[in-house]
Amino acid sequence: MTSDPTDTMPLEDYLAQGGKLTTPENAPPRYRGELLRLMATFVDSELAGAAGFADIINQGPGIKERIAASRIVLEKLDHAERVLAVMGEFGADISRYASHHPWTARVARDSDLGSARHGSDMRLAVLHYPLQDWLDAVVMNVLMGRAVTIQLDEFSRLSYQPLGDIFRAILPRERRHMELGEEGLRKLLQDKANKPAIAASIAYWRPRVAASFGAAASQHFDTQKKFGLRHNGNAELAAEWARQVDSLLGELGLS
Amino acid sequence: MARFFPLEVTDVRRETRDAVVVTLAPRTEDREAFDFTQGQYLTFRRSFDGEELRRSYSICAGKDEGQLKVGIKRVEGGAFSTWANEELKAGDALEAMAPMGAFHVPLQPEVSRHYLGFAGGSGITPVLSLIKTTLAREPGSRFTLIYGNRSINSIMFREELEDIKNTNLGRFNVVHVLESEAQEIDLFSGRIDAEKCARLFKGWVNIAAIDMAFICGPEPMMLAIAASLHEHGLRDDQIKFELFASAPRRARHVVKTTANGARAETCKATITLDGSTRIIEMAKKGETILEAALAASLDAPYACKAGVCSTCRAMVLEGEVEMETNHALEDYEVRQGYVLTCQCHPLSDHVVVTYDQ
Repeated sequence: MTSDPTDTMPLEDYLAQGGKLTTPENAPPRYRGELLRLMATFVDSELAGAAGFADIINQGPGIKERIAASRIVLEKLDHAERVLAVMGEFGADISRYASHHPWTARVARDSDLGSARHGSDMRLAVLHYPLQDWLDAVVMNVLMGRAVTIQLDEFSRLSYQPLGDIFRAILPRERRHMELGEEGLRKLLQDKANKPAIAASIAYWRPRVAASFGAAASQHFDTQKKFGLRHNGNAELAAEWARQVDSLLGELGLS
Repeated sequence: MARFFPLEVTDVRRETRDAVVVTLAPRTEDREAFDFTQGQYLTFRRSFDGEELRRSYSICAGKDEGQLKVGIKRVEGGAFSTWANEELKAGDALEAMAPMGAFHVPLQPEVSRHYLGFAGGSGITPVLSLIKTTLAREPGSRFTLIYGNRSINSIMFREELEDIKNTNLGRFNVVHVLESEAQEIDLFSGRIDAEKCARLFKGWVNIAAIDMAFICGPEPMMLAIAASLHEHGLRDDQIKFELFASAPRRARHVVKTTANGARAETCKATITLDGSTRIIEMAKKGETILEAALAASLDAPYACKAGVCSTCRAMVLEGEVEMETNHALEDYEVRQGYVLTCQCHPLSDHVVVTYDQ
């Protein structure tokens, strides 16, 4: 792994053509900043998501549901830890990271944050809203689970290979979280009395999850794309998510 | 924070005219930390003329050799590699971090897989580690290496590869592609590019039978090979890359000039991001450089705002600043002029900061 400089090419060209970077030393400063920002967004979202969901475990109607919710919390923390380890290779102090912020903090239910970052961590705005009860958590998990799998699919192709590998390994487990949510939702729907509350919860979460894909025209996305950290635009991903959600809700008689 | 361990140099062997293989021994108490995985690298640090340099070199030993060895090829103008090639000797001490890198797949003794490795020049070092470990630990598996070099004389580990071939008959194959030497078979002359791959996959390598491919070499070679592998049906998760790590890509630190004292309450901050520069008048107290940059609509990178994650790192080219806390930058980075902008207040009346270096 020593270099022969005459054979190399400008890193921007290499990345633009789909090249992969493999160590912190490969990463030029701006790339490093964007990569860390992307990782921090993921880690903070997983930590905040797990923290919010942990409070809901005991509200699960049966042991099976509580096991499912516990598993989701456990694995989201594990995913945060794996990505945080990569941040550590770039210099982040991983022992302080998890405790530097109150991950359970939430805004008022009726706040409107849009897609803007809020407070002093990098979690997606949607993870600042409080869950109301078990039913609300299940609905949120169904809608967000779809969004997460679409995002992870996008991230698994990114140009920092050690991170892409982690996202690829995480994807099937996050997909399982989504499926557990859908199983939970089907179970709730067996009782017709739940339907109005479910509809209200969908109406609450859908625009908030949609906003988590970010603005359609984003200069930040252009920077990420230049570095091979992103490929498909925010609007494309959001449209794919909307399509999947419409299809699911239609199938469940909730559209 | 990065932790460095002392390593004793027990042997320095000349491999080619401009490459050495260095054998290293950790202290007894550090042995566990250096229990590497095949394909990983070590990051060394050493001071040259008062400036700390860090360089990474891949481990070229297999897991079962019971030794820690790295290959170091001299890079034109490279201080560390030149020093290692000319002055390093047995008995010297080096400092390195524990092995890092993910250029490998977990081995499973019971499976039979066919691996394909591509190496350009000194890119052979991690691939050699993969070859030796895989052949030893996955007895049913095979490994094919396509290895590009300038000329016969510059081939690292040429004899060792021959030995591996002879002791693993039928399980290991190597195809040498030489740039500046005509060979009997035209296919083996030139560079490993897309066309070369396509031809190799026609006759010499049954690409449909390949389970996993590893590529280590310079960027254009890696791109060409990856494109060709994709074209021939390999998925992303079947291709592992290792980009040369030791080429210093960072611009050299610009020597700081002392700015005009520290008299005013405010500071004129010149901040560069993505090649565009803003000049911002900011308060010396109560506002960080990051906050000033964000307020001026610069899309500066940041995450934790607590001095922990290092996302907001930038370099101070002129003037003086003060960091409130720093849990992420190491002393040598701070000496180079790096700061965490989320923790940074200007002290001088003028500062020049860039996120681009």
